Amino acid sequence: MAIRYWQMAAAAVGFRLVLVLFGGDLHLASRPEVSTPLTSLRRLAEGYWLKQASVSPYSGSMYHGSPLLLSILGPLTNSRPDGHHAHIYCSLIFVAVDFLAAMLIRATGHKLQMARNRSLKSLDLTKAVNDSVNVSAGDVASLIYLWNPWAIVTCVGSCTSPIENLMVVIMIYGACSRLAPLAAFGYVMATHLSLYPAILIVPVILLLGYGPDAPPPKVFLIKGSSASKSDESDNDKTTRQRVVQQFSWKPVLHFIFWLFIWSCHVLLLSSVILKKVGGLHEMFEKTYGFILTVKDLSPNIGVLWYFFAEVFDFFRNFFLIVFNMNIIFVVLPLAIRLKHRPCFLAFVYTAIVAILKSYPSAGDSALYLGLLGLFVNELAEMQFTFFLFFGYIGVSLLSPVMHNLWIWRGTGNANFYFATGLAYTCLQTVLLVESCAHRETRPSSLLPTCQAIYSSVAEPIKS
Amino acid sequence: MKSVPKQEAQPKPRLIVRLGVFLASHHILFSVLCCSAGIITLLLLPSLAKNTYLSENALIPGFANPLFSTEDAIEANRFMKGIEAVLANFIAQQIEALGAEVCYHKFIPRSKNFHPLKFFTSMTNDMAIQPNGTDTNFGINTIGIVRAPRGDGKETIVLVSPYNSQSVQSNELLSLALGFSVFSLLSRAAWLSKDVVWLSVDSQFGEYVAVSAWLNLYHNLVFLSQSVILHTKMYGANHINDGNSEKTEVMAFKCAGTMVAALIFKVGETRRYGDRDSVMMYAEASNGQMPNLDLLNVVHYLAVHRQVPDYVEGTANLANSIYSQALGVPTGSHGAFCDYQVDVVSLEFSPTFHVRNDNAKSLFRLRGGMLIEGVVRSVNNLLEKFHQSFFLYFLTAPSKFISVGMYMIPFALLLAPLPIVAAAFAGGSKSMEKPVDKLIEHSKADDIADIPQSKGGSCKWLQAAKVLLVIQLWAVLVSLLPYYITQIPDATPMQSTLIWVVLSIVILIALSVLFGSPYSAGVEWKLLKATLITSMSIGLGLMSIINFATAQLGALIVIPMCLFSRPLKASGMNFLPRSVLLASNIVFAVLGFPPAAVLIMKGMSKGSCSWTTDFGDFWIWMEFLWEWSSETYLYLYLVHLPCWLLCILVLLHPCRQLESKIKEDWLFGLGGIFFSVGKF
Repeated sequence: MAIRYWQMAAAAVGFRLVLVLFGGDLHLASRPEVSTPLTSLRRLAEGYWLKQASVSPYSGSMYHGSPLLLSILGPLTNSRPDGHHAHIYCSLIFVAVDFLAAMLIRATGHKLQMARNRSLKSLDLTKAVNDSVNVSAGDVASLIYLWNPWAIVTCVGSCTSPIENLMVVIMIYGACSRLAPLAAFGYVMATHLSLYPAILIVPVILLLGYGPDAPPPKVFLIKGSSASKSDESDNDKTTRQRVVQQFSWKPVLHFIFWLFIWSCHVLLLSSVILKKVGGLHEMFEKTYGFILTVKDLSPNIGVLWYFFAEVFDFFRNFFLIVFNMNIIFVVLPLAIRLKHRPCFLAFVYTAIVAILKSYPSAGDSALYLGLLGLFVNELAEMQFTFFLFFGYIGVSLLSPVMHNLWIWRGTGNANFYFATGLAYTCLQTVLLVESCAHRETRPSSLLPTCQAIYSSVAEPIKS
Repeated sequence: MKSVPKQEAQPKPRLIVRLGVFLASHHILFSVLCCSAGIITLLLLPSLAKNTYLSENALIPGFANPLFSTEDAIEANRFMKGIEAVLANFIAQQIEALGAEVCYHKFIPRSKNFHPLKFFTSMTNDMAIQPNGTDTNFGINTIGIVRAPRGDGKETIVLVSPYNSQSVQSNELLSLALGFSVFSLLSRAAWLSKDVVWLSVDSQFGEYVAVSAWLNLYHNLVFLSQSVILHTKMYGANHINDGNSEKTEVMAFKCAGTMVAALIFKVGETRRYGDRDSVMMYAEASNGQMPNLDLLNVVHYLAVHRQVPDYVEGTANLANSIYSQALGVPTGSHGAFCDYQVDVVSLEFSPTFHVRNDNAKSLFRLRGGMLIEGVVRSVNNLLEKFHQSFFLYFLTAPSKFISVGMYMIPFALLLAPLPIVAAAFAGGSKSMEKPVDKLIEHSKADDIADIPQSKGGSCKWLQAAKVLLVIQLWAVLVSLLPYYITQIPDATPMQSTLIWVVLSIVILIALSVLFGSPYSAGVEWKLLKATLITSMSIGLGLMSIINFATAQLGALIVIPMCLFSRPLKASGMNFLPRSVLLASNIVFAVLGFPPAAVLIMKGMSKGSCSWTTDFGDFWIWMEFLWEWSSETYLYLYLVHLPCWLLCILVLLHPCRQLESKIKEDWLFGLGGIFFSVGKF
């Protein structure tokens, strides 16, 4: 398995390299599915050029990204070797970034699996451990991330989404392995780059506080109570109580401390970079403000552009509030429902962000599909997987054709392209709802657990 | 004790899910109903056609009296009389005499290219090939431009009249004269608000090449640093050297605004039969694109009216139109304009008079001129681009059309059973598997260890999806092969075809070795069929957006083929239905294979049985498709061929779990099929 894994991973990286080096100009950067106003590298090059000319990089509504990216990637956009596509050095960096993200997803998967085995063992279900763990979830997840066509297209298509994705993955990995500084770094950077990962603070704090995903606490309680009926030594009980972890404040405070430090760093660096060419205020206005007020209405695979192109101007502010609140609304209920599974919660949040964010792209979907792979054992029995799979394929083929028909052929219109956007949103919603519902109603990993516990509880009652 | 709470916990499924389950359980009845309804509506289409109507009010065709008079017709006559040996020069002189701007466009014919993906590239932005001084094999278009007295120079109407500069026919001269007379009228017209470009196309390498070369340069202007030196070919051997300044002025490529519409007109061969002159409209561009219906309506409104055709004629027109759209190859040089989103129509006048009859000729010129002037006038009235009327339609007659809402119905009916059947098979294998497993458990408990334990029941389709992906990969490779095969010098079509076939078989075998043969993982045939049907519905759906006619024709072949497919070894049916199913399977499998279908069609149309030349013809046909960047080529190789192969896989499915035998089986089976085809 391990050898096979490394072969596949190497093949994926090789494939990306081949596309970058020999693919020629695939014009992927101009596809609305791939690059958005926030992530486009072309805009970044423009911003860098403006900054070199001692003008604010945000002037002219071209660049809307972070100043840090400007100073890291900017110099690379200047040089253009002959015979290759425009941003080859940046693309090579993105390949490395993707690989790193995949490795971190794999490590996260291993951490999750260890935690799961520990909790199952503590429930005296070693048999269940051996039975159910037949696929290494981390390997699957990282392979999904590496071989996902959207991730590949995003990586090759000159946009900065891979870096945003890496930051989110760093945050989740850091939180899973309880490295507060790393988690804080990922969190601050991800929020700085694309704002929406801000809501991931809930799963991160839960991860740091409770530890990785575990069966619901009531299972432990039932087990505990049933165990207490049959005579057991006090020693066992205490170990079990240690496994049913109480919320530990220390890593969380640690995390908040580091959050503060990293934020200061980022703000300081940004203000140094933007010195004399516009200040932090302009940065906030042109990045976060641009995200929240949906200023760019050029088509993308989301649904907001169409809506805000249609809506009357005097309702605009109202609907801006409604659409932005939409994301906030789901945070709390989901956090309560899934608080014993913070990692799954993080997946759900990233998926919701990918559906509802103002400038979605294929890169966002690549991220949450990669994270979905972490729960492959639990979700193996999910419904509608067949149709979701083919639906995703169909939509991703349909989208460029509809776009072509509308923009270039002139025989279609905006509704054609928007229809694929709607279908795509529906698919994502079905995926999300099914995975949540499946996790909640029939957690297969717990099925043997529950049955064993039910029977162990029922036996004494019957007798 | 265990099972009771579980069953209670099972919630009642939602209504839509129950509806889906109901339909899936009756999927055979449902698909038979839908397919037959689809075919019946398809046959009814010609009688469902509606009358055309003008949507755009600004067009007001026939509102003004035509100014084109007998004097203009006489002018055309004068033009014809004065024609010199070197036409391009003569035309330019005449245009200059009218006081209009003139320029030449020199182009070389482009070599054959392999670009089936042209549809998806955003723009036809390949650089215009500039002929260098040494090249003698080039053509020259002559362009006259009238600047509108009332316009802002931002919009243009294009008139195109083709002629062959190497050997000018009398009918081509007639169309040139017609073009010139209209142009001379327009150069005097005070009402023009859009520029008029008259392009006299040198069609010695074909009209399309010349027009597309000009359009390419028009839309991707190259500013040459050095002025191009003129050739004797352009001015004729005995041209008078009238100063360098004028020459460079003439040579500089001139542009007008964006094109609103274009009108291509030519005079066809004189018809011996028929009692009246007729005008043919050609509008099908590449990939079944059509211009806005309003343009055709204007032409039809201004041309002579005719009676409504009967069902048979309508069907013939419709079939003709569907065929030429499905081929995806433009029916004339108007295709070049459609690539730049210019609405365009080709008119072919078919006069009935004798060439010597001057009287009839001038009457014909008068009529033709009036028609063209009327169309230009209408388009001149436009304030916006054509957008009001339909882009997606079929014409059964010039005055009868079937809109997209109507012709989508039969296709949708044909496509409707596919998801249901896919659901039935994908879900069916899941629910069926449990009792079967139990039976096995009861009968031979010892062999359980041998049966590979699949993990999640609902993820078993992943194996089938893997088979599908491998086959798609194969199809992509096969469709790209001709690009490399065309590089081989001096290969006859027959040899190329053979190389192609052999290479595809080699690739197929290599892939099956690399990824494991499709049956080795123990894929159930039901899942394979579900995957097949789903992928097919995605492919057909996509194609219906790109080129509807191709998808419609393809659906007629591929949907029955896939719905009927059932393993030959599958049991559980009586003799009669089974043999009927088997026969139909084999018939569809043969018909569904593209080369076989082409061969059979050729054989039926010709009646002769020279298979070797026909086999070469297949290559030529394919070459024809990809040169015109027809998406039908992609459809054939990325949708149709994989579907066919999957169908064959389903047919040859062993229906057993014995692994060692299967591998040989499927390789042998496939090899056998290819070689039996190759034998032709």
